[in-house]
Amino acid sequence: MTETEFDQLLSKYADVVVRVGLNLRKGQRLLLRGILDDAPLMRKVTESAYKAGAVYVEPVYADEQITRIRFEYADPQSLTEVPNWMLKRYEEYYERMDAELAIASGDPDLLAGIAPDLIAKNRKAVMQKFDPLRKYENTTNWCVVSTATPAWAKKVFPNLPVNEAQEKLWHEIFASCRIYEPDPVAAWQEHRTKLQKYRDYLNSQEFTALHYTAPGTDLTIGLPEKQKWQGAQADFKNGISGIPNLPTEEVFTTPHKDKVDGTVTSTMPLNYGGVLIENIRITFENGRVVKVNADKGEETLKKLIETDENACRLGEVALVPASSPISQRGILFYNTLFDENASCHIAIGNSYRDNIVGGEDMTEEEFATSGGNKSLVHTDFMIGSNQLNIDGLRADGTRTPVMCAGEWAVRV
Amino acid sequence: MDSNKHHQEPLKKYAEAIVRVGLNIRAGQRLIISNATARGVPPAGRALVHEVTKAAYAAGARYVEVIWGDEEMMRIRLQNAPADSFDEYPKFHINAVMDMIKNGDALLSVYANDPDALNGMDAERVAALQKYHLQNYAPVGVEVSRNSINWCVVASASPAWAAKVFPDLKQEDAEEKLWQAIFETTRATLPDPIAAWGDHIKNLKKRSAYLQAKKYSALHYKGLGTDFTLGLPAGHKWNAAQGLAENGVVFTANMPTEEVFTLPDRHRAEGTVAATFPLSYAGSLIEDFSVTFENGRIVKVNAKKNEALLQKLVDTDEGSSRLGEVALVPASSPIGKRGHLFYNTLFDENASCHIAIGRAYRFTLIGGEELTDEEFIAAGGNVSLNHVDFMIGSPQMDIDGVTESGEKEPVLRSGEWAFEA
Repeated sequence: MTETEFDQLLSKYADVVVRVGLNLRKGQRLLLRGILDDAPLMRKVTESAYKAGAVYVEPVYADEQITRIRFEYADPQSLTEVPNWMLKRYEEYYERMDAELAIASGDPDLLAGIAPDLIAKNRKAVMQKFDPLRKYENTTNWCVVSTATPAWAKKVFPNLPVNEAQEKLWHEIFASCRIYEPDPVAAWQEHRTKLQKYRDYLNSQEFTALHYTAPGTDLTIGLPEKQKWQGAQADFKNGISGIPNLPTEEVFTTPHKDKVDGTVTSTMPLNYGGVLIENIRITFENGRVVKVNADKGEETLKKLIETDENACRLGEVALVPASSPISQRGILFYNTLFDENASCHIAIGNSYRDNIVGGEDMTEEEFATSGGNKSLVHTDFMIGSNQLNIDGLRADGTRTPVMCAGEWAVRV
Repeated sequence: MDSNKHHQEPLKKYAEAIVRVGLNIRAGQRLIISNATARGVPPAGRALVHEVTKAAYAAGARYVEVIWGDEEMMRIRLQNAPADSFDEYPKFHINAVMDMIKNGDALLSVYANDPDALNGMDAERVAALQKYHLQNYAPVGVEVSRNSINWCVVASASPAWAAKVFPDLKQEDAEEKLWQAIFETTRATLPDPIAAWGDHIKNLKKRSAYLQAKKYSALHYKGLGTDFTLGLPAGHKWNAAQGLAENGVVFTANMPTEEVFTLPDRHRAEGTVAATFPLSYAGSLIEDFSVTFENGRIVKVNAKKNEALLQKLVDTDEGSSRLGEVALVPASSPIGKRGHLFYNTLFDENASCHIAIGRAYRFTLIGGEELTDEEFIAAGGNVSLNHVDFMIGSPQMDIDGVTESGEKEPVLRSGEWAFEA
């Protein structure tokens, strides 16, 4: 693509992010978070946000190399240091109901070779520091998107020169986010409606559990009585509805934290904080992980599960057909935002409050009693394939196929 | 990450000198790296910031925070944001810096700015942006002006800045040449930069000790377009190269630094002074200008380019119409000898005698840190949101010191030191 074509596509993408993803309102402020390599999109989004009536866009750039340098050079004892002002900044934005965009396009191998216990120590300190922000979940319109940064592009297309890899990854992002459509905004409305039909179907079925079978997988995931499936659209407490992930192909709810049994095998590598974890095999009993293996990154995975009391339980179950537009691209992205929309997945750790009816207004005890999980972590990993079958189980013992050979078994 | 391979060695030495001489980081201190004008370090400063971060951790820093700023975002804002929205400000930046200062941590400012970043933008909008910046930034300015903590200002080459300094060179050659100038003027090309800085600091301190012993009541400047007398208040304190911060750390606030400086009496400046260099202010260049004083106040400004911006600067607040710093630099200083402009105060002020519009540093008056604003003003100190240096030195400049009994003694002749120290 020429520079002009790229510039036009980037502008369209920024408009979709602002108008569909965030659904930014006139008079709002926007907190914009990314890494230095995200600057081209950050700038376009800023322009688009002001044109949509934003009063102020606050860019906050991070530099991944500074993170790596810290692990390499700092006294290990100091890795728990997390400054106060970051927490205060987010609180200020959420209290004022301002919008937030986060860009997820980091180097999947950023922390390769760093000792897992150091990473775990630092991440836990960060998560503890930011834990008070959980109460602002879905308070304001937020969105996560990606840009094709050099390090990420090189990981996805290792055989291409970096500029070609970046161009190809941009193409994948634009395609997945419907930017090539003549009217991307209309295309997103249509897509949202389709996902909402699956969401409504699942909400109407009142399954008590889902039963997964695939090579290496025989897993039953119990669902809370008050389960609430979500898809594509989120309704934020500030009265705005948006699409918090671009792209998004999933419908999802929370498992019951005490009712997961059996064994599951991952079908894609998991990128956790710059470390790749491959071929995960986990066995659950009464919701708890009782056995963990991975061919690569096992220690990192174990540290993740030991982060706190409930990091050994599940907090999300999501359905995505194996033929999803992202899966069809046949690329492993090493980035959760993309890979989770190519595959059925589950998440270790925290449950979203809005996956339980009335969950946002419950106390922690009420939420836990209803089956919701509370943890510092929330990490998705992929378990979908064209060999995966999922049945929905009902209280009366009957079962209904939900997915067959990785595809929706129901028509909506 | 973009730095040329052959830069790697001097870049490391430069970073080391910044950490050990400039900041003199203490084990257990935290460090915040930022840049007020661009609301964070421009991304072009990345390679230097990486090396400084490594050197700081190696010196025992507990945590290094970097705030990044994107000048292009400022342009986008100026062009697209609502006219009444410029009171919105990235307060997190101030909170982060103040959090560190209150904790006794170190502050590094890295310049890599485009001197023309806001060129061509609507002047009213730029003025509004600048006004709210100064208001929000004031608490940091107050802490820095009293040396609460060890702080330092340094520079990294950047594409836009290099193109401005060397407009006739190809982009990469211009950047290369600017890096070379930075390395040479900060002694990073010498075998032992830290020892070289030790010698340099000693020499500058001899000059300031001489001037301190003289207790001049005024300085008289005579040069092209300049005939100007500047009063020095009782208790003025000459400084050079090194300061002692309230957190107990001895540091060097500017790299490079060639100046010996103190505060003028805010009530005693008479005559006209002509700038000898353009002034980069709020992202624009003010050129070919002169300023006339009566009783310490600026009563007239003249500029061939951006006179309105200069007037806005002077009108910012009461203290912006008066002076807060007077600095002596021989015209043959290592930076002056290079014979070209840097369009950046950190360099240009070390090529030339200069004075500053606005706030006086508290540490340039004996006991100044302990005074209230009113007491400081009564003692001749100036208080303002601004502190903007501009250059008045040249090889044609003569400066006399006026003793308490009214006798004149040569301080500079034809731009060079006129006394032995």
